[in-house]
Amino acid sequence: MKPLDKRLLKYAGAARAFLATGALLGLALTILVVAFCFLLSQIVVRAIAGDSLDSLMPMLAGLAGVIILRSIVTWLLDWTSARAGAVVKSQLRRRLLSAIAALGPGWLSRRNATGVATVASTGLDSLDSYFSRYLPQLILTVIATPIIVLVILFSDLPSGISVLVTLPIIPVFMVLIGWATQTMQRRQWDSLQRLSTGFLDVVGGLATLKLFGRQHRQAARITSITEGYRRETMSVLRVSFLSGFALELAASLAVALVAVSVGIRLIDGSLGLSVGLFVLLLAPEAFLPLRGVGTQFHNAAEGVAASEHVFEILDEAERMPVLAPPAAGSPGRDVPTGRLRKAGRLTLHDVGVEYAGVLAVSGFTGSFAAGSLSVITGASGAGKSSLIAAMLGFVSHSGLIALDSVPVAAAGGSGADWVAWAGQRPGLVSGTVLENITLGSGVVDRSLAMRALALASAAEIELDLPLGAAGSGLSGGQAQRIGIARAVYRSLARGCPVIILDEPTSALDSATESSVIDGLKELVRTGRIVILVSHRPGVIAAADARLTVNAPIGVGI
Amino acid sequence: METHDVLRLAQPPLKRFAPGALLGLASALCAVALLATAAYLITKAAEQPPILYLGMAMVGVRAFALGRAGFRYADRLASHDAAFRTLRDLRVGVFERLVPLAPDGLAGTRRGDLLSRLVGDVDELQNLPLRVVSPLVISGSVAVLSVVTVTLILPAAGLALALTLLMAFALGTWAQTRVAGRAERGLAPLRGAFTDRVIDLLASLDVLIAYGALEERLAGLDEADRRLTAAVTRQSVGVGVTSAVTLLLAGIASVLALVLGIPALGQGDLNGPALAVVVFVPLAVFEVAGMVPLALGAWRQVRSSAERVASAVPDARPAEIPADVPGIGTDRPAGVSLHGPAILELVNVSARWPNAAVDALENVSFTVSAGDRILIEGPSGSGKTTLAHVLVRFLEHSGEYRLGGVDVHSLAPDEVRRIVGLNEQTPYLFDDSIRQNLLFARDTATDADLGAVLQRVGLADWTRSRGGLDAPVGERGALVSGGQAQRLALARSLLADFPVLVLDEPTANVDPEFADSLIRDILDAVAGDFYSRAVIVISHTPVPADLISQRIRLQARVRREAGETGRPAGDARGSTGPGRP
Repeated sequence: MKPLDKRLLKYAGAARAFLATGALLGLALTILVVAFCFLLSQIVVRAIAGDSLDSLMPMLAGLAGVIILRSIVTWLLDWTSARAGAVVKSQLRRRLLSAIAALGPGWLSRRNATGVATVASTGLDSLDSYFSRYLPQLILTVIATPIIVLVILFSDLPSGISVLVTLPIIPVFMVLIGWATQTMQRRQWDSLQRLSTGFLDVVGGLATLKLFGRQHRQAARITSITEGYRRETMSVLRVSFLSGFALELAASLAVALVAVSVGIRLIDGSLGLSVGLFVLLLAPEAFLPLRGVGTQFHNAAEGVAASEHVFEILDEAERMPVLAPPAAGSPGRDVPTGRLRKAGRLTLHDVGVEYAGVLAVSGFTGSFAAGSLSVITGASGAGKSSLIAAMLGFVSHSGLIALDSVPVAAAGGSGADWVAWAGQRPGLVSGTVLENITLGSGVVDRSLAMRALALASAAEIELDLPLGAAGSGLSGGQAQRIGIARAVYRSLARGCPVIILDEPTSALDSATESSVIDGLKELVRTGRIVILVSHRPGVIAAADARLTVNAPIGVGI
Repeated sequence: METHDVLRLAQPPLKRFAPGALLGLASALCAVALLATAAYLITKAAEQPPILYLGMAMVGVRAFALGRAGFRYADRLASHDAAFRTLRDLRVGVFERLVPLAPDGLAGTRRGDLLSRLVGDVDELQNLPLRVVSPLVISGSVAVLSVVTVTLILPAAGLALALTLLMAFALGTWAQTRVAGRAERGLAPLRGAFTDRVIDLLASLDVLIAYGALEERLAGLDEADRRLTAAVTRQSVGVGVTSAVTLLLAGIASVLALVLGIPALGQGDLNGPALAVVVFVPLAVFEVAGMVPLALGAWRQVRSSAERVASAVPDARPAEIPADVPGIGTDRPAGVSLHGPAILELVNVSARWPNAAVDALENVSFTVSAGDRILIEGPSGSGKTTLAHVLVRFLEHSGEYRLGGVDVHSLAPDEVRRIVGLNEQTPYLFDDSIRQNLLFARDTATDADLGAVLQRVGLADWTRSRGGLDAPVGERGALVSGGQAQRLALARSLLADFPVLVLDEPTANVDPEFADSLIRDILDAVAGDFYSRAVIVISHTPVPADLISQRIRLQARVRREAGETGRPAGDARGSTGPGRP
């Protein structure tokens, strides 16, 4: 692990600012620590020499002042680092979400969407401990440790040398032990993983175990899983705890070495008590930040791993050739005309789609007439959804897609009012049903929304019903019909001549399906071009025309 | 379960806990003694006594230095080992309480993520000895022993040390509680709102672009992020308060020791080296005392985990869950005839979920004969899954439910489940090989048996392409698609050879275009045994009529989905029985 990733400084300006503030505070803290040790040892020595409390009062007051300042600076360092963690996370998240939006749905569909969502929302939280616990210690290691060692060297050369000799033991041991731990963990990775999830597996599968009458043997299984986990983990811990051991040993041995060597030289009178006490107090302070780095190492590693995922996506977005930025301007407010724009025919000529060199669609030709309901069928993997994505401009394509001989505009850009679309997943967002139906349309017309719901056979759904994230709170069938209603609303509100629906009835029973088709036929009668992708017999039977997409040669199903 | 029961299970017995705690205490005492002895050594040496007088102190300093690191290492090993051993007992203890209640009697654990949270909570409880009890015992003992030592040297300084320590405990804990409490109350809703918006954006990115709503949504996200970040930065003020307070009070303790010790110097027993000890001991003690606020923070987390575990496992079996009768064995009961007509009969069966106010299933009656193919259809909320759970005795029912003429109440639930099998909507696959996922259904099956059953469910080629029976299915079946999972689950049920098999929404997690062929394959595979197995398919999407011998339609009850109500009950094709009486 690199202690500090350069990309963090590149992508999050707040991290740069924090390093500067942190360095200043670290310097102040170091000076205060030295002052504290100096004043404390001076006071003790003078008191032993016979100075009265009154004559020591100014120094005591100074000591109290240093103590108060030290608390304040420590608190400031904690505060700024926690604050920086929050701001850096925010900067990274915003950049990440813009990058994902720029990479687009095509990119996202090739990734694990939950994984990306976790990275963008809570995944970065492990940066909190990286900033609030690890980085301050790292800064202090760079600033405080060298200064304190120098002070000790100047005050008492032999003590300084003993500290200098013991100090490098720590990083050397840390690296060696870390390396040994990793080797062990890698060797046991599979069994450790399985053992660590074994209990969850048994509890999660409890219903299944009961169905097969196997629940009564599981206590023994849990015992053996957990015992195995204990044995394997302990054998790793025996090694990895050695790093803590090395840290503590080096720190306390340095104190002991300093104490003994100072003591011996005090006896023969070659050293003053004030210097002796001073270096004794300072010696552990030189080790303190290093110990902090050591103990916070695991927290830090998690934070670095989390930010790694973010940087990968950001780097990818940076490498990406800039396509047309979606949704320029504020669409929706420019053309709120309800009048249907006349269109005669949507034509696809020799359309091909290619992902990373693999053909998804090749040479598709077909046309869709105004006032007709068409259904696109084809085996799974034949490229139906890719064809839709090409029509909407989500993916680039070869060939021509034209509405009355004019090439169509990509969805989301200006001039995209030719099409209203609903995908296989309903794609609902948090907000009311009304907000979902009127999404991006610019005009909120309740009666029109109710008409759209009715056409989608969803008249019973309340417009003001609030939905959770991704439309939670609805059954699959309800969500699907709201998705249809949204496309219908857009077509009604903005006069889109083409409606494209991908598997619109997959979650519906046959009665509801036929009622949805009735609604769509009403739209067809207004002269719209309605295109459905479906495998359902009821839909195919109801369509005026059927087009089949065949998988390109060489594409397996 | 009560919270204190859970906590008692989580805390190792004294015999197991004591070694780690004692070693930890020894290490902490060594840390204090190291500084005290070193201070004594140096100040005494300044008096230039014969070196003999300091021999003990020199040995002591080195011994304490080694002891501090050595004891700490031994402590960590001993306490972790003890915690893992206790985790084993804790897991078994919780699991055995889960067994009779699972799956429907576990409060709020019907969703998979809540179940994994329960497991996470159980595992979190091992922090009770490690991060709560042990640090509290150690820092408490060190504080007391140090105060006693300092008091013996200079009573007034001992009192001052005691007072500052108490203040550090109190203030540190207060600040920690306040900060954590405010964070929980103030941040959780903002964080939730932000996460919701992220999920919205990612789940609907294509829609948002297509509808030109992306900019608006990104702006909303920025706003939610800004609000969250502002709240976090406001609260970050409190983050370092605890450690700053500890540091401040440690300093104050030393200053107080100086103010009290300097006038006493030379009068009575207090000499220079003793003064140094009294002044330096607080520096080391407070380092140990700083563990207390952290331990109390960990305690809050452990306690809420224990509360969640306790509330997930009800004290008493709810009336809606059939009593488990262990010990009756899992053999198929004698006296239950599984041939001919009416092998399974329901008469006016109603059922409800635990803690529900109304029945989820009401007055359902139907009869199943050997070889029947029955389709149960109906919108969501009509009680389809409830019916499935009644059939395998996960849920108690009213009305009559007979198997081969025998009332199921006279059979153990396990015995009923030897006759009626269920393929769940989302089949659970264990993180193991294909072989192990099949074998637990019939552990005497040979590889040839397994190969034959995989062939029947259409997975023979797939198994070969994955590298055979030893291929892993991944955690929670992550390496297997929804359709393959259904087929594997079917293979399992075929191996177990249930005379009656219930299939709950077999196509729910399958791409729509695969649904029809999957259900056809499944029903083909189920046929072809030497005796005629009865199959009950639950589905809300249409099933090809030629596969079905009888249709039963359940009406929407709890959540009315009016889009599918008020219409004739299904279509009449192939229907041989009335939907409801």
